[in-house]
Amino acid sequence: MQLVVNILVLASIYALIACGYVLIYRVSRVLNLAHGELMMLGAYLLVATASGLSNSPVAALLLALALSLVVGGMVYLFLMRRMTGEMVLAAVLTTVALGILLRGLILLIWSASPRHPRDMLGWENPVFTLPGDARISLYAGLLIVSTVVVYGALFLFLRFGRWGMRMRAAGQNPLLAAQRGIRLHAVFALAWGLSTFTGATAGMLIALDSGLDSTMVMIGLKAFPAALVGGLDSLAGALIGALIIAAAEVGVIRFIDPLLADVVPFLVLIVMLVVRPWGLFGTREELDRV
Amino acid sequence: MKFKSMIAGIAVVYAAPAAMAQDTIKIGLTGALTGPVAGTYAPAVEGLRLYLDGVNAAGGIGGRSVELILQDDGAEPSRAAANSKRFLTQDGVVVMINASLSSTYAPAIAEAKRAGVPLIFSASACPPEVFPPADPNLFCTTGFGPKYDSQAALAFIEATDGTDVQIGFQAMAIPVSRGEIDYAETLAGEMGMTPVAKEITPPPAPDYSPFASNIENAGAEWVWSWAPWVAQVKTFEALRRLGWEGDYVLYSHLEAEGELERIKDAGLYAIGANAMFSEGLPVMEEIASATEAAGSSYEANQMTEGWIAGMVIEAALSAAEDPGDAASVRDALSSVSVDTEGLRGGPLEWTEDNHFRTVQSYRVYRWNTDSGQIETVRDWTSYDVQ
Repeated sequence: MQLVVNILVLASIYALIACGYVLIYRVSRVLNLAHGELMMLGAYLLVATASGLSNSPVAALLLALALSLVVGGMVYLFLMRRMTGEMVLAAVLTTVALGILLRGLILLIWSASPRHPRDMLGWENPVFTLPGDARISLYAGLLIVSTVVVYGALFLFLRFGRWGMRMRAAGQNPLLAAQRGIRLHAVFALAWGLSTFTGATAGMLIALDSGLDSTMVMIGLKAFPAALVGGLDSLAGALIGALIIAAAEVGVIRFIDPLLADVVPFLVLIVMLVVRPWGLFGTREELDRV
Repeated sequence: MKFKSMIAGIAVVYAAPAAMAQDTIKIGLTGALTGPVAGTYAPAVEGLRLYLDGVNAAGGIGGRSVELILQDDGAEPSRAAANSKRFLTQDGVVVMINASLSSTYAPAIAEAKRAGVPLIFSASACPPEVFPPADPNLFCTTGFGPKYDSQAALAFIEATDGTDVQIGFQAMAIPVSRGEIDYAETLAGEMGMTPVAKEITPPPAPDYSPFASNIENAGAEWVWSWAPWVAQVKTFEALRRLGWEGDYVLYSHLEAEGELERIKDAGLYAIGANAMFSEGLPVMEEIASATEAAGSSYEANQMTEGWIAGMVIEAALSAAEDPGDAASVRDALSSVSVDTEGLRGGPLEWTEDNHFRTVQSYRVYRWNTDSGQIETVRDWTSYDVQ
């Protein structure tokens, strides 16, 4: 049973991060390689709000989440918007530069020392015993709950929401969408905002569970295979991809050799790229276009 | 007359920087000041900078100031190589310092050797070349020492609980950490302990529970962890979340003191070569004052490694016949003996043959839940470095 819990927690981390990659890619065809840094920035925003609002921990958390949404939108408005009409590669390279800039800024502002926002907020991290004698901490459990809520909300938003439909339209045919009066920049800014919000949610919950340090940026990269395996333009794919990668990783750690944990996600990715390059739920035409 | 004045003016303009350069002793440091592992190195570098600032404020070395040139390599070998080249070809440093991951060692060692400039490893793992018989050009001030750390940790477990124990190991998937834990596993077997698990975690893991589950399932009563701080402590905390009630020994890196206070777990032991600031020694108060005066973003208790490196550099430059000459400084380093004023278990001494230290001492600390403060569980235990 503990094995299942471990898989679900890891899959939730990957899924929350991977949906950020997918949201931006399906709307603008840009691979955001600064997503790990934006996730880490979200966690550090919690450190900032926690130090200022330690008496109101819930307000600190909500403010940090809201700030992450705003930061994502700002990144689009002040940086990525200028890439509109340029080659996709130029936009991707811009995200690489953004990542380097964010890493430097985070170090300058918060230093490289480990941070523990949960202690700053005065919260505990109780452990619950589940059937089968499996154990899960509060924040690990919240990672799973958040994943369910975020994906559920995103499915409803994209399916029935006015802005969700606009996002889908912009992703499928930006020219036609623009001609029909959809404000593409607003849609793209919303996609960047939501992407940063979901990544930051993962970053904050990881930081609340086990602390925050500058190695978090590498976790963002580890979730990338989940998005690719599921299909870069499919949210359902990101969810399934995260489950596959997490199951493979935890299984290898448990039954084969922990040393292979780092390799397995990329091994699964290579197999997927050979067998089905557009991913499990990705669109084949979109890949051809890329 | 006008022409002569002009020549004299030009001579003054060009001679002035040369004279100023003569008044400065340059030291070049390449370190992981940014990037994912910066937390392990940046505070130590800050400690070294503060120490040398103090040396300069007190008049420098024989009236010459010491200039510390910092270059970030982000733990990337290519950047470490470029930094080293710059130090040697442009800056004219007399000593180079490496405070970065072991992957940056090879280019730095090669460049330093080619230029005949001594290279000191500080806060970074000591390479095999500094142990007897030592490479004449390489030195190491870092507290932790491969093999000796595991010997001391396992000796502590033996002294506490005997050898009839089931022991697990934790390392990070980097060569230096894996090598040490492989050695520890063999040594534990030879001592009569039963190794039951060895978890090598990637740098970093999003969730350490799967690795911790293996250790718990194997029935480990003790765990010895030798890895960067994040991997050590996150594995421990994941074990506790799983309900594991064993004892955990980890290496006391520069984050240890603050983390023992945060975790407050009597079953978590930190073994290391540096004393903790809970001792309240005068030198620690000096470091704390310097940290506060500089408005540093790091805690004073994270600066010990850098401070000790500063002590060694000051001692070597003071003893050198010509502190502006690399060969002269290297000769001085080869016979340096520094009183660490309690920051370590004894003086740091180097000989022609031994550039690690002649004696390596360890102390073990943990959180005392009754007194609500850090306590010394085992006082300095020394090992002759052969």
